[in-house]
Formats: sequence, C-alpha cells, structure tokens
Amino acid sequence: MLLDRLSGIFFAGLGLLLYFVIIPEQTEAVDYGWMRPQSVPNACAHLLLFLGIAQAAFPRGNISIDWREMLKACVFAAIMAIAIWLMTQFGYLLAVPIFAGCLMLLVGERRPGWLIGGVILLPLAIWLIVVPLLGRPLP
Amino acid sequence: MIDVSIILAGLGDAFSLTNLLFVVAGVAMGQFVGALPGTGPVMAMAVAIPFTFVLDPLAAIAFLVGVNKGGLFGGAIPAILINTPGTPDAAATALDGHPLARKGKPVKAMKMALFSSVTGDTFSDIVLITISAPLAVVALKMGPVETCALMIFAFSIIAGLIGDSLIKGLIAAVLGLFFAMVGLDPEHGTPRLYFGYFELFDGLPLTAVAIGMLAVAEIFRRLANIAGRIKPTISIPEKQEKKDKNVSWAEYWSCRYTMLRGAVIGTLLGAIPGIGSTAAAFMSYASTKQASKEPETFGKGNIQGVAATESANSAVMGANLIPLLALGIPGSIGAALLISAFKIHGIQPGPLLFEQQGRLIYGLFGAMMMANLMNLLIGQASLRLWTKIISAPESLVFSSALILCITGVYVSTGGIFGVAVMLVFAVMGYLMNLFGYSVVIFIIAFFLGDKFELSLSQTLVILDGDLLAVIHYPVALALLMLALVSTWWLGIHAPRKSRRQTRDSSLD
Repeated sequence: MLLDRLSGIFFAGLGLLLYFVIIPEQTEAVDYGWMRPQSVPNACAHLLLFLGIAQAAFPRGNISIDWREMLKACVFAAIMAIAIWLMTQFGYLLAVPIFAGCLMLLVGERRPGWLIGGVILLPLAIWLIVVPLLGRPLP
Repeated sequence: MIDVSIILAGLGDAFSLTNLLFVVAGVAMGQFVGALPGTGPVMAMAVAIPFTFVLDPLAAIAFLVGVNKGGLFGGAIPAILINTPGTPDAAATALDGHPLARKGKPVKAMKMALFSSVTGDTFSDIVLITISAPLAVVALKMGPVETCALMIFAFSIIAGLIGDSLIKGLIAAVLGLFFAMVGLDPEHGTPRLYFGYFELFDGLPLTAVAIGMLAVAEIFRRLANIAGRIKPTISIPEKQEKKDKNVSWAEYWSCRYTMLRGAVIGTLLGAIPGIGSTAAAFMSYASTKQASKEPETFGKGNIQGVAATESANSAVMGANLIPLLALGIPGSIGAALLISAFKIHGIQPGPLLFEQQGRLIYGLFGAMMMANLMNLLIGQASLRLWTKIISAPESLVFSSALILCITGVYVSTGGIFGVAVMLVFAVMGYLMNLFGYSVVIFIIAFFLGDKFELSLSQTLVILDGDLLAVIHYPVALALLMLALVSTWWLGIHAPRKSRRQTRDSSLD
C-alpha cells in the first residue's frame, strides 16, 4: 500500500515537473491556432498531477517488490548500457560477445559448450545474417 | 466495388514460393518461441520485426503473421507438458491439457490443441476476410471530425484493459499519450520535447519503444529470476503408448460444437479491441464446461477442455486484425506490433489500406490462410522436435534474445540511438510492470497519441473551436456515444461483474 501511495506521489511530482519545467523549456511558445504545441503535453501534465494525487490518496493494488530481483535486473540493464557504449567504441563483433558472456556467466552458466554457443557462435551467426546476407551495416 | 483483379493479384503474390518460405519460417519460429515458457509470440514478433526491414512488405507481414499463429499454438506445448503456459493465452489450456499429459497422453493433448487452434484460427480469418473490406468502405466516408471521434472511441476501449486499478490504467494511458507528443507538433510544425536530439524530430521510434517495453523488460525480469542451477526450459516424458499419441477423427468430430463455440467467442472478443485471447480462452472453457453433460470431468483431463480453449484463443488473432485493417486501431499488442511492421515499410494502417494497398491486403489474407495450413503441417511434423529443441538452457535463450533485440532495433532505426531508446523504455517497462502500471495500455496510447492530436487539431479548425457543433456530424456523435457506452461497459460494468463473480465463487 505504501509503495502504491509512493508511486502516486511520483506521478503527481512528474506532472508538476513537466508543467513547470520541462514543457515550457522544451516547447516553442506559439500564440495562434486552436491547438498549440504545448496544449496536449500540458493536458497530460495536469492529468498526471490529478491522477497521481488520486493514486496517493486512494491506493489500489498490492505491490510486493523482490528487491534482490530488482537489483539483479538493474545490473543487467547497466551491463546492456555498457555494451551499447562498447559497441559505439569497438564495434559489434567485439562488444556483443562480451555482453553475452557477462550475461551467461552472471546467471550461473558454466558449461563450456553452451558458453561457446552463446558467446561466439550465436553473435557470429547473427552478424553473418545481417551484414553479408541482408546487406545491413552494424556498428 | 471490389476489384477482382486486385484480389487475384494479391492472392497470387501470397502463394509465391518466396512468401511460402517466409510463412513456413515464421510459423516454425513462432511454434518454437511460443513453446519456450515466458517468451511467446509477442516477444518473437518484437524481436523479428526489425529483421523484416529488408524484406518485401508482403513477405515481412506474412512472416510475422506466421510467427503469431505459430506462437499461439506453441504456447500450448509447455502448458500441457509442464503446466507452465508459454503464453498467457495458453493458461486455460493447462487446466485440462496438463492432466491429460499426466495420464500419459501428452502428444494426444498437444495434437488436439493443434487441430483446434487451426480450426479456430481459420474460422476467424474467414470472418476477417469477409467483413474488413466493407467496414473499411464505411470508414472511408469519415472526415477529420469523425476520425477524431473514432480516436476518442479507440481511447475508450482501453478501459477494457485497465484491470484492477482504474487510476493506474489511466496513468499508463496518459504517459503513453505524453511520450507520443515527442517530435514535431502537427499544427505548427515546431519541434518539442526533443532535448537537443535531432533524431527525435520524427518522434520516438515505435519499434524501439515496443521492443524495449515488451521484450527487453521481460527478459531482464526472467534473467533476474534465474537462481542456482541453470534448468532446461522444458522436460518431456520418455514413454508414451502408441494409441495415446493420436487424435482420431471420431475424437476430433466429437469436439466440433466445442470448437465452433470457441471460435465464435474468440472472433467476437477479438474484434473488440483490447479484450484479448486470454479472456476468450477462459470464457470458452467456462461455457463448454457449463454446456457439458459431464462437467465434473473438466480439470481432470477432458479433451473438450483443450479444444475449447485453443480454438478460442487462436480465433482472436484473425479477428484482432478487423479493427486494425478497417479502422487503423490495434486490437491487441500483437496487432500493435504488426502496425510497427507496416510503418517500417511506409504503410499506414487504416481504411485507406484497401484503396491504396489492396493487393498487399489480399496478399496478407492469402498468407494468413497459408499460415494456418503450415501451422497444421509443421505442428504435426515437429511436435516432438520442438519439445526436444526447447530444452536449451534459459541462459542461452535469454542472452540470445537480448542480442537479437539490440541487432534488430539497430537495423530498423538505422543507428545506436534507437538501441539507447529501447534500453530506456525497457527500464521504464520493467518498473511499470513492477508497480502494476499496464505496459499494453501505454503502448496503445503511445501509438494512437499523434493521430489523436492531429485529428483533434483538424476538428477544432473545422468546427471553428465550437465543440458543440459536433451535433451536426451524426456519425461522430454516434461514435462519441459509443465511446461513453464502451467506457461504462468495459471499464465499470464488466470489472464490477467479474469482482462479484470472484467474490461469489470464493464464498462457495
């Protein structure tokens, strides 16, 4: 229930942030026409504020978070972010096997056969399909 | 008037060898991925869409339709074998399918699932083919005011997806609408909410957003859930008796009314955007049990239970395309993904499709019928093969899926920026799922958002800002009334009834 309330407060805060900071900075002020660039975004911000307050006041649902699982998911997302950066620096063929290897080792895969399949054969097969066969560039 | 030459040309395209091969590949991939617990046709489609970028539009759509159809049946395999549905749609199949497997008849249960899935699917495809063109002709008579009312109606049907919390559902819809505002505004053409990234002038790429929220977020969750020893995704019994492996004609024929009922329920629910195949499967199961002379045998391995659920959940697929092709409204998440495939090829779904891309649409219809046949043939030939192959470890399956997502989005968006967008939305999708905010509602609102803004802007110009002038547009007025009724029916009446039924059954 507390997390439900907190999520409501988050969305109400997001509505305020959008209305007072982000939308004014990120849209051009136009003073003609029935629909201005900021009309729908502002309506969304108002709705988020109103609905966020409603969610905080009358929370519904029963969120139960497994923090350990969430932390692990964050680690996987971080690894993916690093892999994307590596791809821009060193290219697909170097970054993707490292990425696949990290993921497989992190979830506990130790069998050499499956590791070779996931780290070397699969990325290579995808690269061969996309670049020489389909003629599309990869970084 | 329908031009017969266009229909014949479209069907001719569909039955070419190239398209046949793509349908076969799609069905095989769909059955394989659908059979992996926790993945399913939506993830398979999401991963496959960017790779269709290099194909002809018809081959691409035919491939994806094959993936979807194959995946709907594939989901039944783990539901029957290990009581773990590969897709939510197959959850009802496990009710009788798994007890049948425990009685030593897993192959018989899977074959019945296959036959009833193909039967239901073919029924709904025939309805789609006969109904969507006339509906599109009606839709073509609509101007911007009617289109705006149609968009409001489309938003109202999101109410059917809201679930337990109305407020959370609305927040998800508003967020989706807000993110659709990124890019040039339709009336003045000024850039907004682009934070200095010129790649965002055209808005956020639908493919990256959909794949991030549906596939990558789910893979993160599944990877995070792997603990201890890596398991194969599925296990099959070694010994089965020969007579228990096949479904006889007599057994199939005895299920004809059950399958017909399931197909009708699936088609009706599938044509209403937002209801989904899980509801159809459970509704069909419940009505079959109610109509049966031996209701006590349901849940204990009654083959009629498998036929009821599989015919219904597969019938939803074809019917889902009715609002997509006739009105441009995605009826399900699978249909929303098909829209992104259409857009990758520069095709705008909606009533104009029949006028501008008639050949493609009739080609699609031909491909759908062909996919049904292939689903049956491939399923028959490879049931045991899938169950063997899918015993690959989860570590390999999910890391491969992530690599495919990255590669696919890079190819379809033409750069690393799309991949970064996918990651951001994957994190957002993960958090939204965790906190109970519907990702499906978000994506449907995101897809409809820019069209809604454009049609609203045109409507205000036409009505000179006087919204009450809408009374001079009877079709628009009727659609707005329909929006009110569907909001009440789907968002208030149906959930209230469902809660009451749950309470009553718990008291019993």
